[in-house]
Amino acid sequence: MLAPTSHPWTSDQTLAEHLEDRGVSRREFLDLCGKLTAMLGLASVVTPRMARALEQMRRPSVVWIQLQECTGCVESVIRTSEPSIGDLVLDTISLDFNHTLMAAAGHAAEAALHSAMEANAGQYILVVTGSVPLKDDGIYTTIAGRTAKEVLEEAASGAAAVIAVGACAHWGNIQASNPNPTGAVGVSDIIRDKPVVNIAGCPPISDVVTATVVHFLTFGRMPALDIDGRPMFAYGKRIHDQCQRRAHFDAGQFVDGFDDEGARKGWCLYRMGCKGPASFSPCPIFQWNVRTSWPIGAGHPCLGCTERRFWDTMTPFYERLPQVAGFGVERRVDVFGGALAIGVTAGVAAHAAATGIHRARQRKQLPVMQKPPQDAEVNRGQD
Amino acid sequence: MIDPKEPRLQPAGTGGVIPEEVAEATHIPHPESLPEYRWVYLWRWPLRVTHWVSAITITVLIVTGFYIGAPYFTTWGEASSHYLMGWARFLHFAAAGLIVAAAILRVYWLFAGNKWARWSSLLPVQARDWRNLWRTVKYYLLVRQESMPHYLGHHPLQQLSYTLIYLIVIVQMVTGFTMYGLSNPGGFFHTATAWVAPLFGGIQTVRFTHHALTWLLITFIPLHVYLAFRADVMDREGEMSSIFSGGRFVRADVKFEDE
Ligand code: HEM
Ligand code: SF4
Repeated sequence: MLAPTSHPWTSDQTLAEHLEDRGVSRREFLDLCGKLTAMLGLASVVTPRMARALEQMRRPSVVWIQLQECTGCVESVIRTSEPSIGDLVLDTISLDFNHTLMAAAGHAAEAALHSAMEANAGQYILVVTGSVPLKDDGIYTTIAGRTAKEVLEEAASGAAAVIAVGACAHWGNIQASNPNPTGAVGVSDIIRDKPVVNIAGCPPISDVVTATVVHFLTFGRMPALDIDGRPMFAYGKRIHDQCQRRAHFDAGQFVDGFDDEGARKGWCLYRMGCKGPASFSPCPIFQWNVRTSWPIGAGHPCLGCTERRFWDTMTPFYERLPQVAGFGVERRVDVFGGALAIGVTAGVAAHAAATGIHRARQRKQLPVMQKPPQDAEVNRGQD
Repeated sequence: MIDPKEPRLQPAGTGGVIPEEVAEATHIPHPESLPEYRWVYLWRWPLRVTHWVSAITITVLIVTGFYIGAPYFTTWGEASSHYLMGWARFLHFAAAGLIVAAAILRVYWLFAGNKWARWSSLLPVQARDWRNLWRTVKYYLLVRQESMPHYLGHHPLQQLSYTLIYLIVIVQMVTGFTMYGLSNPGGFFHTATAWVAPLFGGIQTVRFTHHALTWLLITFIPLHVYLAFRADVMDREGEMSSIFSGGRFVRADVKFEDE
């Protein structure tokens, strides 16, 4: 569907037959299976099993709905400068419905959606991008006269699996950030009767979507997830622990400005507010645009976009610590804490001085002891 | 030798006569009028170990913590020839382990210790203690010096402030191990602290709390050292020596509220 082809994957063909039709060699296909196995963090003994499963697979159905979002995730998934075989698998997996990419519009598009859902009821994979606004009866996003919530619930009811792609579908993203005027929530806040896989990130890396779908097709279930519903193979490690600049972090070499010596030398961006130490993502390994680069690689601190509520919690983006209410907007905690420490020390000194003066005054009022009579027994201690 | 288990009267006095002029100049009371002293054993070794291990580790944690929070030194040359942040973090985590050990000992001592160290000494519980709290505050405000209630262990203000320090250190441990757990997702610390970040409203707030509470601990140091010295100098009741030797000399004629 992505690239209209004279050899569409027909529903009676297996993937192997289809790839042969399109001139993809078996060697290339096995190469892809090997890469996906590695990406999923599986042992290489799984590769033949994956190859067998994918080869024999009939054309699965993928329905991709877009709700309250900017379409950036679709862009991220399709914008690869050189479509790799992985992308080919994903797009030949054939989106039965995606309103940005399909030629049809209006009633025809709606009809396509419904026929895909009916024909493959209980079988299709539902991909969702975008959040679901709930406020004011959900009027802030409507498609064909129905609210995003209704669209999502209907599409999810017949789905074999639900994949929430991007930060909007994950938790609501910028529209759900304080003060969340449209009451936006993520897919997993609505769909509770089915496991929802969250492909976190704004936008996420397309390879993660491909690998997740392939995992489902190979094993018939979703990959292992972390507590936030994100696939462990991709989000199982901190950026900070996979970062190419990490050696500079450990050495104590930090960039202090975007045009300084450290920046030219590729030092660590910790002091520029890098949120790598708090963010889980495969960015350093998978990278972007066919492994060209990634934000930290390009010299920009990580914003933490794979984490829930990052607009509220990871900001200011160029500071290491957040500004917590009560500490003022400009007043950093260190100014406050330092002032407190100095103030208390000064208070202690003042108290000591006051005590001294007080003591001296009291002493003056004390009567001086008189010498006792000569015969008094003074060696009491000897008894 | 003094038998620590049996507080009893101890000899005091210089054994000689101080000339009147000297006595007048120095205000040294005549030996005849020197009060009787006795030695009481308050802080047994677990408590003193907890105290000094905490003192050392908190110092290390503050110094290394602030380097982690604001790396003020930068090294030059090849990254492979330096490990400054690495060492700071290593020391921070090593000290973290030690302070947890000290905390475990302290918790044990809350139940096994004597009455000045037990859990019941953590907070002023009786009505008497709350009245004394007010009197103690007045004492420190330099009004009504004479009304200072005498305590062998901690007076109510100390009880409150030390318990607050315990709480701060506990929060430091919880937030610290939450951040520590991030480097090994699914591992013990990550799983055990999974509830912390949602409670604080995100891992960055956890980090902020860890950072901000450090300032409170720093603030506590001059206060604590000053008040301990002050009690030693002013009240001559051996406050300082008690945290070294475990015991203190107190006047035999003073009645203590927590005896
Ligand atoms: C009294 C105790 C402690 C003090 C005063 C202290 C102080 C600090 C400070 C100031 C920071 C820098 C925070 C920032 O600006 O990001 C820090 C970081 C940290 N502390 Fe502590 N800390 C204490 C106890 C602990 C404990 C018990 C642990 C447990 C492992 C711990 C683990 C950490 C970790 C993991 C970091 C972040 C390191 C990193 O991101 O590389 N701390 N600490
Ligand atoms: S650039 Fe960011 S993620 Fe990389 S080592 Fe530095 S702080 Fe960690």
